[in-house]
Order: sequence, then C-alpha cells, then structure tokens
Amino acid sequence: MAFDWRNYRCDAAYDELFAASGAPRPAARSLVEYLQSLSPRDLADRRLAADLAIKVMGITFTVYSEGKNVDRAWPFDIIPRVIPKKEWETTEKGLKQRVDALNHFIQDVYGKQQIVKDGIFPAEILAESVNFRKQCVGVKPKHGIWAHICGSDLVRDGDGTLYVLEDNLRVPSGVSYMLENRGVIKRIWPELFQTTNILPVDDYAAQLYDTLVAISPRPGDAPNVVLLTPGIYNSAYFEHAYLAQQMGVELVEGSDLTVGDDDCVYMRTIDGPKRVDVIYRRIDDLFLDPDVFNPDSILGAKGLMRAWIAGKVGLANAPGAGVADDKVVYAYVPQMIKYYLGEDAILPNVPSYLCFDKKQRDYVIANLDKLVVKPANESGGYGMMIGPRVGKEEHAKFKALIEGNPRNYMAQPTLSLSTAPTICDDEIEPRHLDLRPFILSRGESTYVTTGGLTRVALVKGSLIVNSSQGGGSKDTWIVDIDDDTPGVVTSPAAAAQTQSQSQEGTL
Amino acid sequence: MLSRVAENLYWFGRYVQRAENTARLINVNANLMLDLPRRMPLGWAPLIEITGAEAAFKELYDEATEENVVRFLMIDPRNPGSIVSSLNNAREILRVSRDTMPRDTWERLNDIYFYVQERGESSILRTARQAFVQQVISGALLVYSVLTTNMSRDVGFQFLRIGTNIEQADMTTRILDVRTLRLNQNDDKLDLTPFENIVWMSVLRSLTAYQMYRRHLRTRVNGNGVVRFLLQNRDFPRSAMFCLDNIASTLPHLPNSRSIERTIDRTRGLVRDANIEGLMKTAMGVPDLMDEIQIGLNDLHTALADAYFSQSGS
Repeated sequence: MAFDWRNYRCDAAYDELFAASGAPRPAARSLVEYLQSLSPRDLADRRLAADLAIKVMGITFTVYSEGKNVDRAWPFDIIPRVIPKKEWETTEKGLKQRVDALNHFIQDVYGKQQIVKDGIFPAEILAESVNFRKQCVGVKPKHGIWAHICGSDLVRDGDGTLYVLEDNLRVPSGVSYMLENRGVIKRIWPELFQTTNILPVDDYAAQLYDTLVAISPRPGDAPNVVLLTPGIYNSAYFEHAYLAQQMGVELVEGSDLTVGDDDCVYMRTIDGPKRVDVIYRRIDDLFLDPDVFNPDSILGAKGLMRAWIAGKVGLANAPGAGVADDKVVYAYVPQMIKYYLGEDAILPNVPSYLCFDKKQRDYVIANLDKLVVKPANESGGYGMMIGPRVGKEEHAKFKALIEGNPRNYMAQPTLSLSTAPTICDDEIEPRHLDLRPFILSRGESTYVTTGGLTRVALVKGSLIVNSSQGGGSKDTWIVDIDDDTPGVVTSPAAAAQTQSQSQEGTL
Repeated sequence: MLSRVAENLYWFGRYVQRAENTARLINVNANLMLDLPRRMPLGWAPLIEITGAEAAFKELYDEATEENVVRFLMIDPRNPGSIVSSLNNAREILRVSRDTMPRDTWERLNDIYFYVQERGESSILRTARQAFVQQVISGALLVYSVLTTNMSRDVGFQFLRIGTNIEQADMTTRILDVRTLRLNQNDDKLDLTPFENIVWMSVLRSLTAYQMYRRHLRTRVNGNGVVRFLLQNRDFPRSAMFCLDNIASTLPHLPNSRSIERTIDRTRGLVRDANIEGLMKTAMGVPDLMDEIQIGLNDLHTALADAYFSQSGS
C-alpha cells in the first residue's frame, strides 16, 4: 500500500510541496505522483540506496565531540524540495540586486563613507563593528568586489513570502553538499529526471573558477589559483577538498605558502617556490596573517595582507568583507539598495528592530516574549534568545544585556518556517526548512546557484537545521512547468500560525 | 606539485601496497601451514619478522599463535603495519589529497575500508579468513586499476609509483631475508629437506610469482632459482630489480633528481651483481645482502625526502 497523502498533515505552516493535505502544488505534482506509485518497500529500498551512496561517495561533515573530531555521514532526506522556475527567477534577481548593493556598501565604508556622510547609515554602527578591518581602509580590490562568494539564507513565512534571514559574506559553506545532494538524487531517482524538467546545478565549480580567475593580478597568463584550508580538522574540510578537486586547483594549507620580499605569494612545490595569483581562502580574516591579525595563527601566511594590499595576490572573499555580515548592518540592506542602485528591494528583509534606537528598543523590551533577539556579530545561533520559547528569567537577562550594549542587539518577529514532506522512520511528515543559495560576483556579471542548499530540521517541531544538531538536507529542484499556474498558493491554514519558531543561520 | 602533496601521494602508494602484501602473506602462510607437519618450526612467527614488527607484537601478545598473529596483522589498530592501519592511513591521506587523485579512488578505497571495519573481527578464524583476505586484495587491485586507467601520468602519478615500488621492493627483500634465514638456521635439527620445496613455493606464492617463475625458468622450484628470480628478474613486477628499474624510470619526469639517481644506481648494482649461488652456500649470505638492499631503500627514501618533501621553499 502506497503512502496516502491525504494523511499528510501540512496545515501548521506553509508547505513547499502541498497546498493542502492531498493537494500537491503544480511544480511538485509529478514528484508526488511518482512517490505515490511506490510501495513502502520501494521507498525503504531507495532510502538504503541513498545511505549507501552517501557512505561510498564519502559525503561527510566533521563534528567535534568527546575531545576528538568525528566524521559523520551527511544526513539526507530523499524527498526533494521543489521551487517553481518562475518564482526562482524573481528570487535570483533579488539576490543579485542584494549582493550588488552589499559590495557597493563595503567599498564605500572602506573608501569615502559617502553613505554615512549622507546620513543613511549611522556612523556609530560602523564605529562599533567588530568585523570592520581598519587595515582595509583605502584598498580597492579589482572590480570593486569584496564579497565574491555570498551565501544568503532564505526562509519562507506562513503567508508564503520568502525573506532574507541573513547574508554570509565571510566564508559561507554548504555549496558542496548542494552539488553532492544532486549526485545522490540522480543515483536513486533517475526516472524522475525524465518526467520532470529539473534545472541542473553542475555548473557551480566552473563558475567559481571563473570568478576567482577574474581577480588575478596577472591577467593573460594562466593564473595559479589555490584554495586555502585550515586543514582536516575544520568542519568544512570535506567541502574544501571537494571544491579544489572540482576546480582542478591546489588545496593548500598555510604552511605551504610564503610571501617573498617582492610582496608576491609563493607555494612550496617539488620544483621550488611557485607564484600564487589568487587565493580562495576558507579561513577567517583574523587567521589570515599573523603579522597583522592574530599573531599566534599558523593557519594563514606571514605577509599575506601586505601582498594583497600591494595588489600582488587576489583574495576571495576580500579581508574585511564581513563588515556587511552583521545582523545590525543587515537591517539597512533595503536602504542600501535604494541608495546605491536607486531600486526597491526585490526580496524583503525580515522586519528588524534595532536596539540602539530608543523607540525600537522600547518596543523590543516590551515584547521580549514574542521576539527573537540576536547579537549583531555572532553566527551559528550563538547568544540568541527565542522569546516565546523561554521564561521570564531569560527575558530579564536579555533586557539587561540589551540595555548594557544596545548596539549589539537586534530583534525580529518569530517566523513560522515553511515545511516539506520528509521521511521520518516509517512515516512521511512535514519538517521545517530553509534555503541557502550562493551568489558569485565578478563585477561584469553575477551568478546565482540554481536553487541552493535546503537544510531541514529532522526533529519534529524543531526549527534548528544545523547538521550538528539533528539537521539534515534535501536536494533542491527548480522545476520548469509549462503552464502559468502561480507557484505560490497561500495555504488555507496560513492564518493559524503558531508563533513558536526560531531561526539558525550558519551550517 | 606541492611538496606536501607529493609526500602524501608517495605514502598513499606505500600504504595500499602494504595492505595488499600483508593480505597475501597471511593467505599464503595459512596454505603453507596446511601442507607442513605440525611439529615444523615454521609457524606464524616469521610473518611478524617479515613485517619487522617483533617489538610491537611482543608488547601486545604473549605467544605467536595463529590467532594472535592474524589478529595483529589484519585488524589490530595498535600495529601501525596492520591491514586496518594501512588502509586507515591511506584513507586519511586520500582525504587530504582527494583533489589530486581521480574521484573513484576515494570510493573504491572506502569500499575496502568499510569492509575491513565491518568484517575484520569475524574473519580471524580460518573459515572466514580466506574470503576476507581475498576481498582486501581485490579491493587494492581495484584502487590500482582506477589510478592506472584514470589518472594522468603527471608528476603526482610518479610519486605514487615510487611509493608503490619502494614498498614492494621492501616486502620482497624482507620475505627473502626471513625465509632464507629460517631455512638455513634450523636449530631443531629437523630434516627440512622434504619440505624445502614447499616452503620455496610458498615464498613465490606470497608474491604471486609461482606461475611466472615456471614460465620464465621452466625448471623445478629450488632455492637458488627462487632467490634469483625474485631479486634479479627484470620482467616480473614484484622482483626487487623490476621495482628499482621502475623507480628509475620515473626520474626523467622529476625535477632535480640527480641525487636520487645516484642512490638507485648504487642499489641496482647491489642487486644486479649479486652471486646468488655463492651467497646461498652460507647461512648469512642472502640475509646480509637483503640487509644491504634495505639500507639502500632507506637511503632512497631519505634522498626523496630531502629533494621533494622537506619544507624548504624559500
């Protein structure tokens, strides 16, 4: 007996695949019909096949537990998340617009700071930003691009609106899992690719390579591009190795690099030193160069900042790009889009209350039981409070924290994240999810991944999608349907949202 | 090629070859035991000597029983030369060098790695052992075939070849060392003559050389012939000479290889000029020569490390 979709209860939140129980959305129809044709035995077999593929393909992530690093198989749900192409086209435009404005902003704050002078962006926020790098003032990277690779987190609220939750501009990760998820799905559901028009995702590595080549200080020559990893104990090491392999570039560690008296960067090879033109660095700013930042760091290379400022090496992302990766700065992105591009934001921000402003702070403090409060510069969900989930003591604690350092706090309404059918033991149940597309900026053109990485909270009712905390992922399909049926249909139950949600930003 | 990566590829070649050789050694010894009378002094202890792990073994086990030796060589993670340790080391290297080898290498290595993890414990006893050992050998062969069919013959490939061949030359000379020593130093004054041929045949088999030996020499198996074949034959892939020739043939692809060439030529001279008949007449003839060759292989490793692996960029 196949699974009866009428028993799929999806009325607690907006469901990505179903408009109502038993009624699939147009873009998901062929997928749902196909799943319906399978017996529970078939479904279990495909699940096993997926587990096996993940194991053999060695798709892992590293978690630190009990004093050592452990490689875990990547948790994966075999039912894809489907987004209609029409909706995606708008999202893609919105993401390009957003990253474009962010790059303008970063260039501006390290240059004339016109946006501050014009009174759009408060000087005090900049002054207190922990990700502002004074060493970058006056630098103008090639094409004025600082955030070459951006991973923005999108969440869908109860009414079906996609919001940008945050922009990751430092070292966003997850794209390799997006690519591997598709590889697994192709192995286990090859039939579906015949009946459904699913747009491919394979292009990313080539696009990334082009993005990196574009910032080489020696155009014309075949530039030497490398990927700088902190090493095997980093949780994203799998991704570093994967991307280096896919691009055909060297995967280097800090100890492989030196900076010469000529300000050029060299790597140690069996032929002696070889010049490096572009570094896709997957280590944080503060570990890049012990001469300038953390003097104890052995992950980077002495003199790297000197080489970058001298224009002898390209760094992606540029040091200091994280200044725009700040939850308070985030609130100003719609104004930045207006200011730099003269356009209205295509993708909305989650409404945000900034605590440094007295009026907004008063509102936040009066409504702590309804809001999510986040510190400005933390990632990974650290130091945040989900108002409806905690008691009065915690509210009082955050009231004191906010009043002690208002610049460092912002608050947002609790969103109800959308769901999609997910296999849980022997049942198919709705689980909450988010989406992280990746945006590559080269100056003359911008590339957005087809879809992105969908992360899903495998624990019932949970909104925590982090893989280290019971989160998993799904393949994301951008599906081209011939008819013009709108992809977004408001769920009849959308109005009856429960306000018991949280959001987690980093992987 | 990064120095660190070159070193990794070299060790990857060694570890996979070591896992395969150890698996063969166990398999062949088990067959040999079946053919020999129970009172024979040639038990399982020689395998520990061949792998050069006497000290480590003594620390962990009391007696060189079949079960202890097999466990130690197959699945004991405390033995750095066990099959499980070799595969684990190879996998750790591959994890940091995945970008330099074809992707299938990773999948095939994972196949044997997980197989050994899951089935090792239940494969200690004779009944299950042969299938297990066979699976390890097949798995290693698949890894080689992925590499030889899918990997460009770039510098990295040369380092893999060097690693594989040094490891094989090392194993071949170790086997000859221990087996000749044992046959010549028969303290128990047992008459081994009736079984000598069986032992020499098993030496050939542990290097998959039996069939090729017969084809090349067309004589019955005897000590002189076996030692000469495994040491000096230029066509058989596991002979010491073949391995050294193979390493020498990588040198034109490598930068600054003069010092390595000198080391190889010296060792090749040792192997080529050895008078096997003469050496076989004294108890320590062959073992002493093997020691000299082993020193030559060590020098070769040092020369490689100095030229390519050490961190001496600028």
